[in-house]
Amino acid sequence: MNIAVLLKQVPDTTAKIIISEGKVDENSVSKWSMSPYDEYALESGLQMKDANNGLLIAITCGPDRSKKMLTDAAAVGADTLIHISDEGVKDSTHTQQLLAAVIKKFDANVILCGKQAADTNGGSTGPGVAEILDAACVTLVSEVSFTDGKYITMRPSNNGTEKVSVDGISVFAFDKGTTELRRPNVRGIMMAKKKAIESMTSTDLGVDLSSSNVTLDSQTPPPEKAAGQKFDGAEHVPTVVSKLRNEANVI
Amino acid sequence: MITMAYEALDFYDVDSLLSEEERMVRDMVRDWVDEEVIPNIENACREGVFPDEWRVALGEMGVLGAPLKGYGCPGLSYTAYGVICRELERGDSGLRSFASVQGSLAMYPIWDFGSEEQKNYYLPKMASGEWIGCFGLTEPDYGSNPGDMITKAEDKGDHYLLNGAKMWITNGTIAEVAVVWAKLDGVIRGFIVEKNDPGFSAPEMKGKHSLKASVTSELVFQDCKIPKDRMLPGVKGLRGPFSCLNNARFGISWGALGSAQACFDSAKDYAMSRIQFNHPIASYQLVQNKLAWMLREITKGQLLAYHLGQKKDAGVWIPEHISLAKMNNVDIALEIARVARDIHGANGILDEYPIMRHMANLESVKTYEGTHDIHNLIIGRHITGIQAFTREA
Ligand SMILES: Cc1cc2nc3c(=O)[nH]c(=O)nc-3n(C[C@H](O)[C@H](O)[C@H](O)COP(=O)(O)OP(=O)(O)OC[C@H]3O[C@@H](n4cnc5c(N)ncnc54)[C@H](O)[C@@H]3O)c2cc1C
Repeated sequence: MNIAVLLKQVPDTTAKIIISEGKVDENSVSKWSMSPYDEYALESGLQMKDANNGLLIAITCGPDRSKKMLTDAAAVGADTLIHISDEGVKDSTHTQQLLAAVIKKFDANVILCGKQAADTNGGSTGPGVAEILDAACVTLVSEVSFTDGKYITMRPSNNGTEKVSVDGISVFAFDKGTTELRRPNVRGIMMAKKKAIESMTSTDLGVDLSSSNVTLDSQTPPPEKAAGQKFDGAEHVPTVVSKLRNEANVI
Repeated sequence: MITMAYEALDFYDVDSLLSEEERMVRDMVRDWVDEEVIPNIENACREGVFPDEWRVALGEMGVLGAPLKGYGCPGLSYTAYGVICRELERGDSGLRSFASVQGSLAMYPIWDFGSEEQKNYYLPKMASGEWIGCFGLTEPDYGSNPGDMITKAEDKGDHYLLNGAKMWITNGTIAEVAVVWAKLDGVIRGFIVEKNDPGFSAPEMKGKHSLKASVTSELVFQDCKIPKDRMLPGVKGLRGPFSCLNNARFGISWGALGSAQACFDSAKDYAMSRIQFNHPIASYQLVQNKLAWMLREITKGQLLAYHLGQKKDAGVWIPEHISLAKMNNVDIALEIARVARDIHGANGILDEYPIMRHMANLESVKTYEGTHDIHNLIIGRHITGIQAFTREA
């Protein structure tokens, strides 16, 4: 069983984001991490690998710095590491085509990814890749296992959860999963250091990135948080309750 | 517990000099400390226990006996070992003490001076954390002067008989394996004593105001009978325990920086958010002076530790190099903890902040593994060629 896990490196949730000239200034990001939903996808992939004696292919499309994340994935058990250069990538359909090309190259049976990346929150990668591969796609899953030739997965339904089975090539996009990504250990880190990362470009993969009808015009920081309000004394309780109920909508 | 994202102070980017492997090990330990240690440390201190989950986790991460190679040991660099100590001690000095004792004081002598059988039998289980080790050198009447120890071993033909007592022994009560230094015919030798050996007991010492999450014990030997194959064949004299101490002290020189960085981090955040006289206290020159001094000393300490790590890995070091780094880095860490306590005002005494705990811990760290002044004497002897430890000699 070939398990492809799609990973994206994003600014760490604790990192400060600075916008300069209408664009996120990537050089100012102090720490890059694996996107949190991707971590759940990776953990599920590792469990599937362990249970089915599979091969786990960790794939990322991004700048050179994202290779570090592949080494981190190797430290917890990824077998094959593929880095696709994001040079020339103009929109998410390009990324999807590149990822799909690698997935085909490695004959992956199942593809796991996060439901969205923590930086762009686009949410299109899983469904987009499935579309290109003509594969089944289940989104917002919390776990996936392989039993009797079928993938069994859990996802939220209207008012509870639903269990979905699919067969054939399938893409699963993870929400918060049931198991946190395992911690690496020294042995894994030492093995990861020796593992080669295979780098590929759009040309290597035969993907044409010339046309795109999307441009990112500008980025702006979120509005400053309004100053808090302070109330002193029991006589304000009704005002506070009313504000919490009607303005903040928290009770 | 007030938690803010930890941004490790690294003013000169010293960590960029680490190898990728060393950085990965750092991140692994750092994440674990954030997730498992910091949320639980105050409780562990209040109860005066070393949480057993931490033993298991250290074994699973594979960091115990970090720089030792073979016999199931990790085989990392000394620099990586230093980084591990620093990250652990950012959590708590008691946690780092556990790892120092296990790796440098209990595993190391078996690894360096043990027989092939001893290495094969003990080391894999100690590297995995299954067996805890301790190191018995200090005695009630012999601290800085261990050479005059009175614990003795007698050769009884088919076994050794140990008599005497050790004190202040980290991990003693929870250890399966004790490496004990005792005199055989007047010569210091290392012996491996197991928890259930007859005549051996390890009662815990209670009432510490420092290293509360670390177990400290007496080791008592009353006609303690151990098999002949438990003596470490490879070393005689003080060189045995001192070789172990060199490695542990090296780790402490990094570890103390972890405490210092935690105190700096907390002091910086506190100073930025605490308003007095209408402005954050961080905006006042006196407070900035304190923060600038902390940053200065931490940065110098980091360079000292890193360079010492390189020397250790290259095998070009002398014990005096280690004395300098242990002495300096613990000294500045303790002073930084005190200044951080001051910046936190009254809040500094609460266990909501890590300050007072680090400060109290560092008092032990200043004393164990060679007191601050003993290291001064070691360096003094190096400079002058005159030993000033004793009037005799
Ligand atoms: C929490 C904790 C854990 C410990 N864990 C261990 C352990 O696992 N294994 C172990 O073997 N030991 C352990 N120790 C013991 C530690 O190593 C000793 O406490 C240390 O060596 C100092 O000995 P002492 O306490 O007897 O102090 P002393 O040697 O009595 O020193 C008291 C003071 O006198 C000074 N002094 C001593 N001699 C001189 C001199 N010649 N000239 C000038 N000043 C001098 C010292 O610097 C110090 O300030 C631990 C101690 C603590 C506090």
